[in-house]
Amino acid sequence: MMAWTPERWPTPSQLDVNAARIDFPILARTLPSGKLLVYLDNSATTQKPQQVITAMSQYYENSNSNVHRAAHTLAAEATQSYEDAREKLRHWFSAQKSRVVFTSGTTEAINLVAHSWGRANLQRGDVVVLTEMEHHADIVPWQMLAEERGVELRWVPFDLETFELDMGAFDVAVKGASLVGVVHTSNVLGVRNPIEQIVKSTHAAGARILIDAAQAAPHDRLGFDELGADFLAVSAHKMGGPTAIGALLIAEDAFTEMQPFMGGGDMIREVHFDYSIFQENEHRFEAGTPRIAEAIGWGAALDWLAQWDTDSIHSHSLSLARFVAEELRAIPGMRVFGRQVEGDGAVVSFLHDSIHASDLGMMLDAKGFAVRTGHHCAQPLLRRFDIAATNRASFWLYNNEQEAQDFVDAVKDICQRFA
Amino acid sequence: MSQDENTTSGDWPSALVEIIEDFTQAFDASERYEMLYEMAESVDELPTSEWTEVTRVHGCQSEAHVRGELNSEGTFHLRGGADSRIVQGLIAITATALEGLSIDEVVSFSPAFVEEMGLANALSPSRANGFLNMFKKVQSEAALLEE
Repeated sequence: MMAWTPERWPTPSQLDVNAARIDFPILARTLPSGKLLVYLDNSATTQKPQQVITAMSQYYENSNSNVHRAAHTLAAEATQSYEDAREKLRHWFSAQKSRVVFTSGTTEAINLVAHSWGRANLQRGDVVVLTEMEHHADIVPWQMLAEERGVELRWVPFDLETFELDMGAFDVAVKGASLVGVVHTSNVLGVRNPIEQIVKSTHAAGARILIDAAQAAPHDRLGFDELGADFLAVSAHKMGGPTAIGALLIAEDAFTEMQPFMGGGDMIREVHFDYSIFQENEHRFEAGTPRIAEAIGWGAALDWLAQWDTDSIHSHSLSLARFVAEELRAIPGMRVFGRQVEGDGAVVSFLHDSIHASDLGMMLDAKGFAVRTGHHCAQPLLRRFDIAATNRASFWLYNNEQEAQDFVDAVKDICQRFA
Repeated sequence: MSQDENTTSGDWPSALVEIIEDFTQAFDASERYEMLYEMAESVDELPTSEWTEVTRVHGCQSEAHVRGELNSEGTFHLRGGADSRIVQGLIAITATALEGLSIDEVVSFSPAFVEEMGLANALSPSRANGFLNMFKKVQSEAALLEE
């Protein structure tokens, strides 16, 4: 079995929505209401193309075996496919000079930074800077570390009208900080933060930077090495891959500052009764049998995505979000969050002043539309707006203009009947 | 769900039977939600000033509160309120179903009537959905009234 090489990926073409949709069997299903599913909860998780489902099944049918052990054929195939997935990720995110550690997702990737880098490098009084836009996954691990180590957390606010981070406040907060944690693209607002500027300012202040790119990865290949960030966390399931796998991309010098926090098989080179020697590559942070089928499924998702030009995925998804945002803004009593400007995520959070978000969510479900309702794991952000929940429609490459139009019509109909 | 020993569809109180009939004749889910919106107005409302941690229904995406009381005949009476009209409508139907029952009857009442009304979504165990949590809280409140 030959190792994977980037030449296997085709030259990407412009996104063809109809051609792409055919590969997602779930989009053809009907709901108990008899309505055809319109899936607009892509920021929570995207659907999976048949190629991903098949790759995972084929692994279990033909090659299931543990990796990095044993000398038999299946073990070799499984190991090759698992490590191929890592190479695909390295290539996809242009992280050739960096490390790619598999985790269970973005949340575990951030926790890995907190445990493996944070505990090795942060002492009482050290400062971690976060923004008020963070997902709970980039808040709670730092609160836990702050509690344990006496680390100070500083919060960078955002403007409630423009939805933009207060970069003046950031420049003040970063002085003397050891680490900055920032969400690349907000899962609630869709706002893309000025990541390049934040990376520069963070490094100028002598701190390390961790980027939560869960929402950016589905429509942006991120260019990790060129961006120059220290850590970047992503999830497979938000970009057509399976759940339960993600990755932490780590710049080489930050990698050398990390200590393993989870011990066990696969992460060691030698174990003695009185000491152990750890692996020196990414495996040192992947204790235990890894998520082999999931890594292979993620690799298949990247193979599938590689046929489409990423910019065309971005511009298509964003144009749907922009259309829906504009239409919803015109509904009396409707508040729409976010900017939906170039570079932003294809996300529209909205809240009606007299129809409760959970009621609107249930009514939309009855009409076939899957949207997210709730706090989106960003309670502090919503509290800044003095609200507890929103509805959120989020779009990806398989959503089309008809679905966006039908969705707008459905929301308008509900507002007319129930407001 | 095993409801063998509980009140079942054969012997719903007549006020509930009427509501179930209205709901099953609804054209679609949207009309059922309209009916829930109307029902929400009929509840003996627990005003927000009386909402406390004791009355709160946990595991509900909206803020919902219920309080069971014994009326003068010693039978059950439910007051409640929610910021979601749909949830308040479900509280109103629950109140109608349980009105005037003995505590024992309340405690053994089956929540399956919601399914018969075509509101099966309301019974899903998803954390976003509070009907079952609300119903169980009403029953445990009722059990406390007995002591």
